[in-house]
Amino acid sequence: MMDALAVPFHYDYMLKAMWVSALIGSVCGCLSCFVTLKGWSLMGDALSHAVVPGVALAYLVGAPFAVGAFFAGLLAAVGMGFVKTKTSLREDAVIGIVFTTFFAAGLLLISLFPSSVSLKSIVFGNLLGISDADVSQVVLIALGSLLVLGLRWRDLVLFCFDPNQARALGLNVRLLNFTLLTLLSVTAVAALQAVGACLVVAMLVTPGATAYLLTDRFGRMLGLAAGMGAGTSFIGAYASYFLDGSTGGCIVLLQTLVFLLALVWAPKHGLLASRSKRLQALKAALGRPA
Amino acid sequence: MNPAPTNSTVAAGLRNEVLVSDVTVSYNNGTVAVYDATFRLQAGSICALVGVNGSGKSTLFKTIMGFLKPAQGSVTIGGETIASAQRLNWVAYVPQSEEVDWSFPVSVWDVVMMGRYGYMSFLRIPGAADRRLVEASLRRVEMWDFRERQIGELSGGQKKRVFLARALAQQGRVILLDEPFTGVDVKTEAAIVELLRELRAAGNIMLVSTHNLGSVPEFCDQTVIINRTVLAAGPTVEVFTEQNLARAFGGVLRHFRFDESTIQKHDGRTVTVLTDDERPLVFGKDGHVEYSQRNGREEVVKQRAEQEDDE
Ligand SMILES: Nc1ncnc2c1ncn2[C@@H]1O[C@H](COP(=O)(O)OP(=O)(O)OP(=O)(O)O)[C@@H](O)[C@H]1O
Ligand SMILES: [Mg+2]
Repeated sequence: MMDALAVPFHYDYMLKAMWVSALIGSVCGCLSCFVTLKGWSLMGDALSHAVVPGVALAYLVGAPFAVGAFFAGLLAAVGMGFVKTKTSLREDAVIGIVFTTFFAAGLLLISLFPSSVSLKSIVFGNLLGISDADVSQVVLIALGSLLVLGLRWRDLVLFCFDPNQARALGLNVRLLNFTLLTLLSVTAVAALQAVGACLVVAMLVTPGATAYLLTDRFGRMLGLAAGMGAGTSFIGAYASYFLDGSTGGCIVLLQTLVFLLALVWAPKHGLLASRSKRLQALKAALGRPA
Repeated sequence: MNPAPTNSTVAAGLRNEVLVSDVTVSYNNGTVAVYDATFRLQAGSICALVGVNGSGKSTLFKTIMGFLKPAQGSVTIGGETIASAQRLNWVAYVPQSEEVDWSFPVSVWDVVMMGRYGYMSFLRIPGAADRRLVEASLRRVEMWDFRERQIGELSGGQKKRVFLARALAQQGRVILLDEPFTGVDVKTEAAIVELLRELRAAGNIMLVSTHNLGSVPEFCDQTVIINRTVLAAGPTVEVFTEQNLARAFGGVLRHFRFDESTIQKHDGRTVTVLTDDERPLVFGKDGHVEYSQRNGREEVVKQRAEQEDDE
């Protein structure tokens, strides 16, 4: 029995998949705190789709995929900013237009040059077949993002919470905004490898949303989300070996499961806690002599 | 990270002042919200900024905070540009309630600590001095017992006090308060006013935008009346006249005229005025402002009594 459970650890490709996805999961977890609090869920989804043509082009010309993805993400962000300032369209409409355009361009590119990169691995991820070169890029991205977050997270929190105070203190708000967007797009690329373009947004939202239910402190939220992202990604990849199913699917469903548990049982913001608090308050009010 | 004070900043500190000269501000859509605004605030003053909705109060605030670049003219603080004044942590502000995301997972303590960021190193790790100042500020606004609370779990007045504590912790020389009294009860208002007076005594400059006209003469020594441009600016006693206010507010002020009311001679001076949201603004016979308390205004009372004798 124990031997059977340990089987995935005997395969190099499984070990690699589990560690790489745990790393990606922890970075995405950290970033998801900012994404949920800033209301950037749609932005995360948009960037994860917008990087696709960049990845396709990079594979075509033989450049590192991270470079292509970075420029595509940047171009998309600039494009959204441009359309937004020139019109009074709602932001979600602008994001919708820009990211579908990028994704469509990506699809077209891949279908025109099918040999260079498989559509399936971009849309659904291909963690089990990931090449060593791609692993090293993912690790580089993850460590770089963690470093930037580790050094700057307090400023980023201030920027998300009260941008006016950040400006009043003379912080460079534009730079902070740019930092967050850049982190988002490079992380989206890393997550693309693990779960595919369609599910990246889950990695960038669910851990943060779960952690938000569990604590009222940003520092703790960051830790919880990172831990949960890493744990679910590791276990999800592990489980996918036995199920012989999609790694991305396993990871994201596991995250949803944890979210649901938190939703019901979270000590302060959970459904049960708020129900019992309401009951207590009611009892106290009724018990008081009129 | 803290720039050491150069000779110029030390000299500027001695003449702590806000100078708004010939400022014109327009928005992207072409609205000229404020034009040719000029006024000057000196160290140790509380200045009221009053005007109708849309008269440009918030615009002027944003300009003084450097969020909007004036199309013309300039704002300087203690002789420095806005940008360098900000780097020196001179400008603190208390936001309007609707600007803040109350569901954010930060505690009262965290929020006040944000006032200290400008003094911290690159990593923003608070030192003992920062913690001491945050504690002192929280105690001063009587919010120390709430330090562990999430910021949204407070009443409107308590939230205001937390942001005031942040401004205190920042030790700014210029504190901007955008409508600090909306949604605040009489007791908290009195506490805030008391605090502003102490800060004034310490040489700070407070600029307060408010719709609560009645409280202006009570605690603001300076007043700027604007309606897209400065209509009048200077000491409150000179500026805060019925004529100037009528010019700024047109017919929108609610009047209660004693000679038109049912108050009769036998009511004498025993009339009581109660109001729940705004302090009433009362003008006397020659259009001078009447204060709510005689205490501390003895010389005004005496002066007016003498004028009466002359007649
Ligand atoms: N972001 C903006 N874009 C374009 N015009 C604006 C913008 N903000 C304000 N305005 C215009 O500038 C003028 C001044 O607005 P401002 O917000 O400064 O008024 P205010 O005195 O603060 O009013 P209130 O008492 O309602 O707070 C108004 O005519 C307003 O319509
Ligand atoms: Mg305003």
